[in-house]
Amino acid sequence: MIGILSLSAVALLLIGLLLFLLRRSEATLSSDLSPLGSDDELSNAYESFEACCGELLDRMFGPDDWDFVLNCAPKQVQRLFLSERKELARYWLCQVRIRAKTAMRIHVAHARNSDKLEPFLELRLAIDYLMVRAKCELVAAVLSLRGPMALRKMIKQADGLSDQLTALLALVSKADALPSHTRVRR
Amino acid sequence: MLEPSEQPSPIIVEEALRDLRNRTLARLDGDFAKLVYLASTRDYNTGRYVHDGLSFRFSEPIVERALAAAHREVFASLAVSPLRTFVAQVEQYIRSGCARPDELVTTWNSSEAYRVLAPAADHPLTVRLFMSNVKVALAIVKATLVEHQRSQDPQSSLQLPSPGR
Repeated sequence: MIGILSLSAVALLLIGLLLFLLRRSEATLSSDLSPLGSDDELSNAYESFEACCGELLDRMFGPDDWDFVLNCAPKQVQRLFLSERKELARYWLCQVRIRAKTAMRIHVAHARNSDKLEPFLELRLAIDYLMVRAKCELVAAVLSLRGPMALRKMIKQADGLSDQLTALLALVSKADALPSHTRVRR
Repeated sequence: MLEPSEQPSPIIVEEALRDLRNRTLARLDGDFAKLVYLASTRDYNTGRYVHDGLSFRFSEPIVERALAAAHREVFASLAVSPLRTFVAQVEQYIRSGCARPDELVTTWNSSEAYRVLAPAADHPLTVRLFMSNVKVALAIVKATLVEHQRSQDPQSSLQLPSPGR
């Protein structure tokens, strides 16, 4: 009996901890989201993200730089390189999450005020958003388990994630290019 | 920086940019040196670019535009260049611009002075990649210096080995 009670207590504790961590990560994300909020900002975010991502991802996760460091630098520099690339990958993932979430937040705000919703478009948007989030988690898991250089095998996946986000943002922009009465209220 | 009403003509800005490239930047040895120079023409307090030579021929808004464009251009080309090229550029800058390379590397590592090199409005991920590459490049140069120091007479002064080592 005591065993069951203590196991239940541990389970409750773990669930509480999980909920706390989830809420904390949502809160962090929300505070990161605050600078972005209007249509123009969404459009700027979309353009700048699209413009820079492909080449940067190739540079960050491609094999050239790592091969150079592996051949020309001592072990401590190799460690520094890996830790720097890991940080960059984390930052990039965080940006993808933030932008996807911002796009959805703005779209939801528009949708609430819109009287002409297209169910098919909304469904597609929701699926795309979930796919982007799921891929983010997959890339994050690979990054944590196998390090940044494992991502070079996933570069297509990473590029796909970026493309998917771009498409999502384009879709949101298109869906939100609606009559002026559906503008976001600040 | 500029009010929309006082947007300078792109043709004149292009002319100022050409002048800057031909007269000033062409004399500097390597892209990294050009970047350090261009970043130094920006006032840290106001973010405005100032260049006395260009100001003789062009108005202030045009000079500012030309310097900002040149800064962005050099930064963008360096930031996405392969690490091998990047390290070579940093090494070239250290070799040509400093009598005591070890001192420069130590100072840059401790003060992180390279943080002021990025243009203000550039994409954050590009800026982060650049900073990260500078850190790695400094570590590689430092390792090269230490290795060279070991192979030299311990009494002699520290010098960066030549590129053909």
